[in-house]
Amino acid sequence: MKYLAIILALTLAGCTSVPIKQKFPEAIPELKEKCPDLKQIEGDKVAITDLLKSVITNYNMYYECSLKNDGWNKWYNEQRKIYESVK
Amino acid sequence: MSQLIWMINLIPDMFWTILLWAGVLAIVASYLLGKIPFVQQYKIPLRVGGVVAVLIGVYFYGVIANEAKWQAKIKELEEKVAVAEAKSTETNTVVKTEIVEKVKVIKQKAEKQIEYVDRVIEKDKEIIKYVENCPVPKSIIDQINEAAKGVKQ
Repeated sequence: MKYLAIILALTLAGCTSVPIKQKFPEAIPELKEKCPDLKQIEGDKVAITDLLKSVITNYNMYYECSLKNDGWNKWYNEQRKIYESVK
Repeated sequence: MSQLIWMINLIPDMFWTILLWAGVLAIVASYLLGKIPFVQQYKIPLRVGGVVAVLIGVYFYGVIANEAKWQAKIKELEEKVAVAEAKSTETNTVVKTEIVEKVKVIKQKAEKQIEYVDRVIEKDKEIIKYVENCPVPKSIIDQINEAAKGVKQ
């Protein structure tokens, strides 16, 4: 009887949490791309048109990078909402 | 502990039902049949055995109910995780498509602007004259390059 009581007491330890783990999703590769360095102007004699081309290139590089940053924010906020909905 | 639970799980649930009812019957029998001379000598062991059987039966009924509750919870969570994973994949696709499309537009715009410079501006006589006579001073170029370098970590 004494041993039976001990065994019963030991089996009282039940589940304390559900053994399912939810993983936070992996970000898409497009978001992980590093922003490129801005274009430098090369040469000693630089024409105003080369300067203009360099400015155009750099502006567009900025917008591309800015787009990815916005994408990160959107991705993270959406994924967090989804992640937190599972509780 | 897990081995013990594993071994107990091998016993079919029906066993605990039978054990519980056998215990109840044993207790009832110990009272009702106690007056019969032959059975009387087994009255006490029958009652003790019945009480033990009822206790174990009730305990494992609880274990089964608890297990069922956790299994239901696991199933519910699995379903929620599956829905979340589907939503997550959908969000990934939406964000990816949006980025790819917008990057394409930005690149096209840049190409068009450069092309315009090559095709129109560089052929403008006024500009040709300006380009030939007025190169941009090196100090200005250096400053622009310095600003373009930014802060490297």
